[in-house]
Amino acid sequence: MKLKPAAFIPELLRHIFKKPATVRYPFEKLKVPDDFRGTPVLKPELCIVCRSCVRDCPAFAIEITTLSEEEKKYKMTIHNDRCIHCAQCVESCPTKALFMDTEFEIATDSRLKLKAEYIYSRQKKTDQKSQQT
Amino acid sequence: MKKITIPIGPQHPALKEPISLRMTIEGEVIKDADIRLGYNHRGIEKLAESKTYIQNIYLMERICGICSHSHTTCYVQAVEALCGLEVPKRGLYIRTLVSELERIHSHLLWLGVAAHEAGFDSLFMYTWRDREVVMDLLEIISGNRVHYAINTIGGVRRDISEQQKEKILEGIEFLRKRTEYYTNLGTTEPTFVARISGVGKLPKEKAIELCAVGPTLRASDVASDIRKDDPYAVYDEIPFDVCTADTCDVLGRVVVRVKELIESYKIVEFVIKNLPAGEIKIKAPRKVPEGETVSRYEAPRGENIHYVKSNGTDKPERLKVRAPTLANYPATIEMLKNGFVADIPLIFAAIDPCICCAERVVELIDVKSGRSDIMTFSEIKRKYFCEKKRETL
Repeated sequence: MKLKPAAFIPELLRHIFKKPATVRYPFEKLKVPDDFRGTPVLKPELCIVCRSCVRDCPAFAIEITTLSEEEKKYKMTIHNDRCIHCAQCVESCPTKALFMDTEFEIATDSRLKLKAEYIYSRQKKTDQKSQQT
Repeated sequence: MKKITIPIGPQHPALKEPISLRMTIEGEVIKDADIRLGYNHRGIEKLAESKTYIQNIYLMERICGICSHSHTTCYVQAVEALCGLEVPKRGLYIRTLVSELERIHSHLLWLGVAAHEAGFDSLFMYTWRDREVVMDLLEIISGNRVHYAINTIGGVRRDISEQQKEKILEGIEFLRKRTEYYTNLGTTEPTFVARISGVGKLPKEKAIELCAVGPTLRASDVASDIRKDDPYAVYDEIPFDVCTADTCDVLGRVVVRVKELIESYKIVEFVIKNLPAGEIKIKAPRKVPEGETVSRYEAPRGENIHYVKSNGTDKPERLKVRAPTLANYPATIEMLKNGFVADIPLIFAAIDPCICCAERVVELIDVKSGRSDIMTFSEIKRKYFCEKKRETL
């Protein structure tokens, strides 16, 4: 093949008159896709405390503690500082009680601020079915 | 002329990750090279033994940021073989689609790095700008730019809609035009060609002898590709060519990768147009039956091997990863010999090294006595670090 010096020059000159490829980030934001994997969020009314999310989370970011055995009161703590945003918990949940939001600006100055806590009572299985339908 | 040894790394501006290269030089010419690994060891194989098969998918993904899909596919293929699972066709097609998109993004990234190391920074910036297109496509499909997490044991996790198909075809069309332009440019720009041709020679016999893999091997005129030699997923149904070059130098490695980009566009278009209907995954058992297996996969950098041994529980007994970079190290030493000191970054970048992928073991050598020892982690801690009370959160 014949060699041509400075073959890239026309392309470079053409780009002087083009719009920038980037956006001015904090002022303009790109839309994230619909299926974006942001932060896991719990819908407490749907949770049946089967603990499959706790078992499958690769980062051990989900914790469920029993507050009261009689009242069926539970506390779920999602440690977002450990979360790796893989959405396995969403897939493991049999009742679709977990979902990923589209939030991506989650930086804070302390890990503790990333912790999300949900205190809720477990639903009976019959209620569960009626809610789903 | 007197021979002297110069150390490059573990920390060096020319290296993106820590690795120690010791060059024995005579003037400007490298006479011998020695590679020392172990600065980036993360203990992933040991960690995998304490996690369940599902959790390990995400751990395997984190072996490498660029070929994250390669490692998960290789791993799930092994587990599926152990369980005897028949993955639905649509699942396999989507898996192949993501793996080809990953190859496109990896090769575009590498092309930029090679251009940068050769001192052609405009090409570097333009290829990386175009790489954003394929990164966006991967984000649309999987929900993330780097760790796609599309694989699961028994299939894939997300389906592809008609709208997404159109977007992928649009993106591929744009990238094809750009790649054709770069092919033209890369082979006609005299400064670039002069910088990379004849650098890092690896003759065909040496490449076979030293077990080089991937584009490094194919640039030495050996048509070896796991996708053709030992087809996995649906590669036996897809028409594509194995790209080779016969110049055996960095220019050949550029040519092979650019040709592979064009082949990858073809594969992506074929997959999108022939995507069968049906399920994307089947349910996998939590416990894997006893057995052992080896899985092979053609990652963008070369052949990737995972060995999985199961003992009937929900955790693997042993998981061994052989990343392509490790296989290319002996060939790199051969390429460096009789080269110039100024070519070290270029030759080293040409194998597309991913150093932390290849770190599988650490050898502890006492600097004073020169003796190597096997030590437990608590012994290292006691001997070399002062114990700190761990902060609990």
